[in-house]
Amino acid sequence: MIEDPEAGGARDPEVQKVRLYPVTRIEGRGDIEILFTPDQKVIEARFRGLDNRGLEKLVQGLPALRAPTVLARACGTCGTFHQLAACRALEAACGVEVPEAAGTFRELVCWLLLTASHLQTIAYLALPDFALPTSDAAVKNITGIYMVDQETIARLFAAMNAVNESVQCLAGNHFRPAVIVPGGVSAFPGRSERDLALELLEGCSSDLRETMRLAEMLTRRESRIMETGAPLTGHYMASTVEGIPELIGDEISISPFGGGETETVDPVAFIDSVEEHPVPWSGVVPLKVAGVDSTMVGPLARLNHGFGDDTPAAQLESMRCFEQWERPLDRESFFLVALACEAIRGLEKARGLTGELREVSASEKPCAEIEPAAGAGSAVVESPRGLIAHVLEVDDAGRIGSCRIMSPLQFNYTLMNRHLTNVARKNVRGIEVVDADAARLQFAVRSFNPCVPCGTH
Amino acid sequence: MRPPGVQGAPGDEGLMYIATAALSACGGCENSLLSIGEPLVAFLSEHTISFSSLLLDRHSVSPSDVVLVSGCVRTTEELRLALEIDRTSRKIVAVGSCAVYGGVAGLRGPEPPQDERPDDTLPQVEPVAEPLDSRVAVELYVPGCPPPPRLIFDALKSVVEGYTPLHFDGTVCSDCPRTLPRGRTKSLTLHPGRGHDEDVCLLGKGMLCMGPVTRGGCRAACTSAGAACSGCRGPSDMVLSSQLHSVYSDTVACLARTSRQRPEKVAGQISTMLDILYLYTGGDPETRARAKERVPGD
Repeated sequence: MIEDPEAGGARDPEVQKVRLYPVTRIEGRGDIEILFTPDQKVIEARFRGLDNRGLEKLVQGLPALRAPTVLARACGTCGTFHQLAACRALEAACGVEVPEAAGTFRELVCWLLLTASHLQTIAYLALPDFALPTSDAAVKNITGIYMVDQETIARLFAAMNAVNESVQCLAGNHFRPAVIVPGGVSAFPGRSERDLALELLEGCSSDLRETMRLAEMLTRRESRIMETGAPLTGHYMASTVEGIPELIGDEISISPFGGGETETVDPVAFIDSVEEHPVPWSGVVPLKVAGVDSTMVGPLARLNHGFGDDTPAAQLESMRCFEQWERPLDRESFFLVALACEAIRGLEKARGLTGELREVSASEKPCAEIEPAAGAGSAVVESPRGLIAHVLEVDDAGRIGSCRIMSPLQFNYTLMNRHLTNVARKNVRGIEVVDADAARLQFAVRSFNPCVPCGTH
Repeated sequence: MRPPGVQGAPGDEGLMYIATAALSACGGCENSLLSIGEPLVAFLSEHTISFSSLLLDRHSVSPSDVVLVSGCVRTTEELRLALEIDRTSRKIVAVGSCAVYGGVAGLRGPEPPQDERPDDTLPQVEPVAEPLDSRVAVELYVPGCPPPPRLIFDALKSVVEGYTPLHFDGTVCSDCPRTLPRGRTKSLTLHPGRGHDEDVCLLGKGMLCMGPVTRGGCRAACTSAGAACSGCRGPSDMVLSSQLHSVYSDTVACLARTSRQRPEKVAGQISTMLDILYLYTGGDPETRARAKERVPGD
């Protein structure tokens, strides 16, 4: 795992590099590079995305109406959210208004996918760190936990399956539903499908509550046995409506971890204020909001903004978290409770929206006509991993002229690498990085739930 | 009793070493696999995960009986990884249309997506996105973007347990609940208009749907929800085995038959949409798609 610094391509002879490759239990391929002074003091630790997919260029020249299908391939986890962002950007470019019921159905599908994604992340990616923190790799994984506690894993998967099945009966499939199209949705589900989905969702509330209790217990234990290092610094950021995070908000709320005023920005002004700060050593291009040093997006950022009373169970759980650990939650290990808490919120949101969708009359149309014409549009949506923004330009021929994707990993990148450096300085002693320290650094990366394919698109 | 796996010691009969790896990919195939949940975990618990950066904190490729590989070969690092897997494993399963056909990365032909990286420790992007079997021997193909979870799981179990996997020689239409309308389609578009509220064939209603020329097995998941098939499972056996020897000509002929239009008219209508006919099958569909239309043993 630890390579010779020369093989890592160190150019400055004074700087020694150690590469931890690959970072495991994340989506996509990345490594951690630690830079040392000649006397083996940590200068910096940085997570590097090792992919480069070029989707923004691939989509140029394609018929605009087919662009969302291709842009959905930016990410395996948040693909539908990219599809939604691309559709909304096109609708903005073409001045199209989506029928209200279609907007409801889109949100319903996305809340369900967010819930399923969080449960999957908890089971496969996060739980091994919390449940079996000091075990050998052969055991510290989902099969190891399954052998120790089959019932807990079965409960977690039962909830995940119920949510996935409800997406399937509403939208055709759960692994990449194609119902979200420019202008609305391709069709509404039938009444029997809506009833079945609601029944499935009603059945998994208790499993999600148990998952929350598990996450809470493991987080309490984790904070006792692990050196938590410095608290997170910078800002947490989410798309909100009246300060409450929503999939599609009417403002972007940015709050400092250290306390202070929350700043809100209009989504269009927000996109205009986002600057790229490319670094030569990574496939991820960091994004910064003008005037803000670093940001965190995703489940922990949304939880810190707080949940509304339209989701009372999630609101109650969030208040429990704030009572135990103080708001804002500013330690990386709170990532697990943020996932569990937001899974409960996703389920509550979905149940409410399914109920609304049942009232849609047969005469309502699922989609608005759309004729791509020259113009530009942008959209911001929340996804399981955090804020996504798309900016699309359509040319005279109705084809994509230019495309810009902004992804959660890019927004998190500066804060994440700063935190990683803090953890490395506190834990790593010299270029002989021991396995426990390597595991500690990888935990710090995982707590930001990075998606490399999305981040390098 | 099955023979021991590649790392197997006496007493390990039946214990197989299973791995997963992703090359240039979005991660959708792995997500599809993981969404199986408890049956997958129970299955993996009966065997051994030899390496999988998604599931296991093990950092090197080790000998394996079966490796599920998703993604196409795009960078020098991915090529090195693919060759190392090939050298150390018994059977490779190509999962997803990127691994099988090159996927959407093949849309734009031989041009690197970005300039050369200034840092030489980053993988170099190669000019062409290649499907997996252009570099290594593949035992089984599971196309789809992503493939349905049950198809990936069935492919994995079939290789581990030694049975013939599911194979779908029909098209998406054979699973689609929609029915053909009377009359001819006037024109083909990419948009559902004001949406679909009847169980009528999407192509028959004038929406460009790739269902008639696309391999089935997905239970028509998109079309049954009113969304047109984008062809993610690649060309069907019927297209690949036809006498016209051209995926394009067969596609036009099939679309013309289903939409009850003359082939020349269909060809004219889709002349500006050729890119999207081959969204997943790379820059050279006539040759590339033909080369791996079937699961070995069919």
